[in-house]
Amino acid sequence: MAGLDSAMPDYAELFCFSNFTFLTGASHPHELAERAAEMGYTALAITDTCSVAGIPRAWAALKDSPVKLITGSWFALEDAPDGAATPRFILLARTRRGYGQLCQLITTGRRRAEKGLYRLFFRDVETHELDDCLCLWLPPTVAEANTDQAQACGEWLLRLFEHRLWIAATRTLESGEEHQLARVRWLADQLRCPITACGEVHMHSRERQPLQDVLTALRYHTTLEHAGYCLFQNGERYLRPLPVLQRLFPEEWLNQTLRIAEACSFEPGSLRYEYPPDLVPSGETPAGYLKRLTHEGERQRYPGGTPLQVQALIRKELELISLMQYEHYFLTIHDIVAFARSQGILCQGRGSAANSAVCYCLGITEVNPANVELLFERFISKDRDEPPDIDVDFEHERREEVIQYIYQRYTRERAALAATVIRYRPRSAIRDVGKALGFDPALVEQLLDGIDWRDKATNWRQQVLDKHLTRNPSVADQFFTLVNTLLGFPRHLSQHVGGFVISAGPLAELIPVENAAMKDRTVIQWDKDDLESLGLMKVDVLALGMLSAIRKALALIGEQKGVPFHIQDIPQEDPATYAMLQKGDSIGVFQVESRAQINMLPRLKPETYYDLVIEVAIVRPGPIQGDMVHPYLRRKHGLEPVNYPNDAVRRVLERTLGVPIFQEQVIKLAMVAAGFSAGEADQLRRAMAAWKSHGDLTPFREKLITGMLERGHDADFAERLYQQICGFGGYGFPESHAASFALLVYVSAWIKRHYPSAFYCALLNSQPMGFYSPSQLVQDARRHQVQVLPPDVNHSQWDHSLEGPDRHLRLGLRIIQGLSREGANRIHQNRPGSGYRSATELRRQAHLNQRDMELLAGANAMPGFTTNRHQAYWQLLDHEQPAALFAQDTPADYQPDHCPLLPEPSEGQNVLADYASQGLTLQRHPLALLREQGHLRFCLTSEQLKNTRAGIPVQVAGLVTGRQRPGSASGVTFVTLEDETGNVNVVVWLETARRQRKPLLTARLLHVKGVLEREGDIVHVMAGKLSDLSHLIHSLPVNSRDFQ
Amino acid sequence: MLWLYLHFPHLLLDHIRRDRQDQRPLVIVEGTGQHVLQACPEARNRGVQTGMRLKTAVTLAPELGIVRAQPEQDARILEDQARWLYRYAAHITLVSPDGLLAEIGSLQKLYGGLPAVWQTVEQALDEHRLTAWAATGHTPLAARLIARAGKGECTGDRGHILRTLETMSLATAEFDAKTCTRLQRLGLNTLGEVFALPAPELARRLSPEILAHIQKIRGTRPDPQAPWQPPHSFRQQADFVQEIEHSQGLLFPLQRMLSELEDDLCWRQQDTDSLHLILQHRHEEDTRLRIRTSGPEHRADGFLNLIRLRLEQQPLRAPVVALVLSVKRFIGREAPAGQDLLGKSQDLNEAWHTLISRLQARLGDHALKRLSPQEDHRPERAWSASEVQSKHKPRLTNPEHLPRRPLWLLQGPQPLTEPPTAWFSGPERISGGWWDGERVHRDYYIAQLRSGQLAWVFRDVREGWFIHGWFG
Repeated sequence: MAGLDSAMPDYAELFCFSNFTFLTGASHPHELAERAAEMGYTALAITDTCSVAGIPRAWAALKDSPVKLITGSWFALEDAPDGAATPRFILLARTRRGYGQLCQLITTGRRRAEKGLYRLFFRDVETHELDDCLCLWLPPTVAEANTDQAQACGEWLLRLFEHRLWIAATRTLESGEEHQLARVRWLADQLRCPITACGEVHMHSRERQPLQDVLTALRYHTTLEHAGYCLFQNGERYLRPLPVLQRLFPEEWLNQTLRIAEACSFEPGSLRYEYPPDLVPSGETPAGYLKRLTHEGERQRYPGGTPLQVQALIRKELELISLMQYEHYFLTIHDIVAFARSQGILCQGRGSAANSAVCYCLGITEVNPANVELLFERFISKDRDEPPDIDVDFEHERREEVIQYIYQRYTRERAALAATVIRYRPRSAIRDVGKALGFDPALVEQLLDGIDWRDKATNWRQQVLDKHLTRNPSVADQFFTLVNTLLGFPRHLSQHVGGFVISAGPLAELIPVENAAMKDRTVIQWDKDDLESLGLMKVDVLALGMLSAIRKALALIGEQKGVPFHIQDIPQEDPATYAMLQKGDSIGVFQVESRAQINMLPRLKPETYYDLVIEVAIVRPGPIQGDMVHPYLRRKHGLEPVNYPNDAVRRVLERTLGVPIFQEQVIKLAMVAAGFSAGEADQLRRAMAAWKSHGDLTPFREKLITGMLERGHDADFAERLYQQICGFGGYGFPESHAASFALLVYVSAWIKRHYPSAFYCALLNSQPMGFYSPSQLVQDARRHQVQVLPPDVNHSQWDHSLEGPDRHLRLGLRIIQGLSREGANRIHQNRPGSGYRSATELRRQAHLNQRDMELLAGANAMPGFTTNRHQAYWQLLDHEQPAALFAQDTPADYQPDHCPLLPEPSEGQNVLADYASQGLTLQRHPLALLREQGHLRFCLTSEQLKNTRAGIPVQVAGLVTGRQRPGSASGVTFVTLEDETGNVNVVVWLETARRQRKPLLTARLLHVKGVLEREGDIVHVMAGKLSDLSHLIHSLPVNSRDFQ
Repeated sequence: MLWLYLHFPHLLLDHIRRDRQDQRPLVIVEGTGQHVLQACPEARNRGVQTGMRLKTAVTLAPELGIVRAQPEQDARILEDQARWLYRYAAHITLVSPDGLLAEIGSLQKLYGGLPAVWQTVEQALDEHRLTAWAATGHTPLAARLIARAGKGECTGDRGHILRTLETMSLATAEFDAKTCTRLQRLGLNTLGEVFALPAPELARRLSPEILAHIQKIRGTRPDPQAPWQPPHSFRQQADFVQEIEHSQGLLFPLQRMLSELEDDLCWRQQDTDSLHLILQHRHEEDTRLRIRTSGPEHRADGFLNLIRLRLEQQPLRAPVVALVLSVKRFIGREAPAGQDLLGKSQDLNEAWHTLISRLQARLGDHALKRLSPQEDHRPERAWSASEVQSKHKPRLTNPEHLPRRPLWLLQGPQPLTEPPTAWFSGPERISGGWWDGERVHRDYYIAQLRSGQLAWVFRDVREGWFIHGWFG
């Protein structure tokens, strides 16, 4: 309506903080954008403090709207020219070049300050090129500076921005406004400079005033009650309706906003990624070079000639890459992967584009398109203008080398990490709002601890009242509203786990760069969604522990065989490996080692590589919430017919027997079964990705279900599909990733099956990683007939190693907690041929300090010359050291120094001492000792349970190694108990858990009476009565050392 | 010499519980609120343990009361205990945070034997509703270790005490963590086993300090203790987990505090004529009351009646979270009270207090206020009339930065009944105060009324016009 009224003025808002000006702006960029459109504004500038972080989101919201988005930023300088007031102003980007200038200035200010802050001086503004930016000056108030200082400041700006300077006037209806307007008019007159209206906007709507007040109080580290004049006097800093603006500002001032808006032609969508040209040798085109590299790789991959089908695939892919001009992207990734290869760093690509024939030839992935029939439709989508997606995993211990290579190759000017926007989550929001409202922090913590986060129906308001945080019910309501509004607000920018942005020119002209918390790391101001929405590319350099372990295991196997051994040398589709996995024997194997996966393996019975792809993807919230697991298993084992309503659905679901498992399939189904258009399906995909933070899936439900009913699908299937979509939200697991992971599952399982000692040795040397502790891995190793030997100064190195022709696993000195790495290395390097003969010799030869010596004694790592750990300790407590320089070996140095008063350690004491020093023991399991002492008379061992009938009451006991309450299992707690024969799975229902919280939550040694349940080879104990037997651990020996 | 050691396993809990009528489970948490430091028996029954994460504790006992520990508070409460123990024993040492040591060898004769001393102390503990683990020892450390291990007995037999020590585990011997680990690594588990090692070896292989510690425990090395001196003033504090909303609820804890005061005064052989009572509130300034008796007084009843009257006169401003009773002025019992309160001997400060006190007595507390500016956008809250005795210093704002306000602000807005003849400035919009339930949303103007007066008028959201003040 407003726009139609001819008397209504037009207006462009040029001063607007979004919530990317942290603790200041009280609205999201998209909220501001949408409201500006509703209000009929001509243009909207987002001008966050020394930042353009809010721009991509505002741009995405305004893409299809008549409102023009202007990119700008607000600055307050640290100092001022002589005699002038401190300048505060807004710079607006007039063109792409001006945008680059703005980014450069922001980068200068940000790089100079600590993370999250900026520092700019007036000299910076003088020395930076800013001739394509417009400047809006915010003159100081009467209280801040006198007239002369204000005028001097204006003159300085006028010199720098002649004909590009405006004085900004606001009408916030606060006390003293007349004086300020008078000053603005006077200055305009003196400087002959136009005045423009602006709203000093902090929120999109007046309703956000309370939240803005809360943010202000937090910014000043105070409570609302004490914030006083730090708060704004009213809530006028919002996007006000045009009639209001018309009443407040002279027409000329409003018209100036339009002139400025018109002058600003820069549009964020015009940003294009400019690839580094370095990678293409001179004289070659990118496309030609990529083609050449691909064909070279092809000859290596297929020495006997490329299969026809793969040749066709390569041709098709290269065409598509050329068409979309993505050559540089593939070349960049190839370059990084080639570097890793040359350094012997294992890596593996994944993602839609990674599992392509081209990537296989380039060595980016090991997934061979000839062996696996995969769906490459999402390889690169021609319809969507969206960059391809390749994540590359590297060995976790050596990823830093790759990152340093990227910095070195492209320089810090041209490479930086993408940001991750850290947002308010329920805990932090409750904490901060509570702080601002002046609630007692201890009570807030108590409230937080009391909230069951999974229980969505929790009545927060009642809890707030119950905990006496406030007596005032209206405050409780406010609290609730504020917390809900604050959820999802950005708090700060952190670094992305590994997403690099690399550019041809200085990165700072494309996106501002700022400091990360980590030393020597810089991040750009945009996160991966922002980059995606603007069509910019990033390269994901991620860390994966399993790759370290695999590389180490391959090296050990090569050592044993006497020839280097590579992943390619591992035979494919080995039946023995699948047989092992089918038994659920998968501790340590990549991805399928969790309890849920161990239970799934015997049910799914993987027989082929593709079964592993499904295995990896099926134990996830999506398929579980969609109740797709059981139908799949029934069909896989032929208990239910496989049928399809039509051919379109068949094409989507054939590989998974008619049951949707992967995210891609669900989206495809929305198209073929519910009639979504390609665009709608893409929206659905985005909503799923964003669902956890701020997305909303409900709009799709109606459409999905009616669409499917219309096309003759049954309502139950439609509802389940929707549930699955919700389950995917935030945890989407696409087939392309599963395919890459499944490869590592197979490789690690094969090593475990055929070279168990190398497998466990490599895993232990890559700790910390995976689900299991070294103690659990060592026990599993011994169950697989691997002989494990204790750490010993006369045999061990720092790392764990394999000894002798029988490949016994010798624990390394690294297992001794707290031992210095340098000391351990010297023990190894300086070891005499015949080994150390006494503690004194060890100390002297290896230059060990007292701390290391004590740790070695505590670990009983000197069995060669000490009778037990007590005596070892007594020996090295002798502080008198011989004068090092002229030390002569005397026979006394090799005399054991025996103290008859010290007791002999008992087996129990040794077990506990082992745990204290190494976190594991090679002696008998504590449970075996307790059983022998008669403490566990009616308890069955894990081994005995396997041969026990289902349905009968049993008793078990064990060390608690895990307590889990998965989100997908309603209220059930899974407890894992460890005894001397293996693990026992205990299932505790919500009611049982509630009644027996104390033993469930606190016991370290738990006794369970329950009923045995069995499904195939999987055995559970459904818990009835729980009792805490932790005190028995102390009764093992007479020893008060804490058992952990 | 014979020493008595009292170990208070949960002193802060006892302190809080004795001023509480209900017995909900209660825990003390460390400053950051993450871990449980002390748990009362009710809480322990539900599985709450010391060192447990608060989160776990709340899961075990959802109705748990939580108190945050403050080190200064611990020290103060321990001193309270020393004060009453001082009545029985002259040589006392405070062992912070939770122990008292008293030399009792010299008392045996006075009380007629060790058991009588023991009984007297136990009775006193009972009266004060305190949990303490007591033990005797021939050295201060022996008494302390045995008490803390909960193995205390009433015995003066050195051999018996040593035998008790020998069976005690290393963890209870208060070696530092490093030493403890070292001794354990040697396979030693009891103090007796450590006693058995040759002294020179101990000093050489472990450290001379460890040897000294052991010798102090056994009594072969002196361990002098500096005696504690009681303070010159009286101060008692009660802390409440649940706020007290009515003055009636203050009388229960007051009764106890006043009877301690009476004991204290009796012991000092002195009287007083003025009590300070501070009521602490969660969000507001403290209420400070000064109670003056008509003459020197020491009886709890007398004080209680006066305070009751005073509290009846003056309802609580806000719920009370803590109550402090202090006396700084003591009057010798035989000396007559000063005749003229404003006499030369009184300093000016005293004169001021006396004047205020007299004015308050004559006019009532509410009649006396002190004015100060307050940072708040709402005009009616931009100033405050606070308690005269409050020590709060208001933040000073540069007057130039203050908003433009009339000198004469009306008690409350009055409806504007006539259209003004002229408008001078405005609107100035004030909107805020949503957080305390007194939200305002108004547009203010300066307007001239028919009478020629310059009025500060506003229109509020409900479309009404009001006069809020007058410009000169």
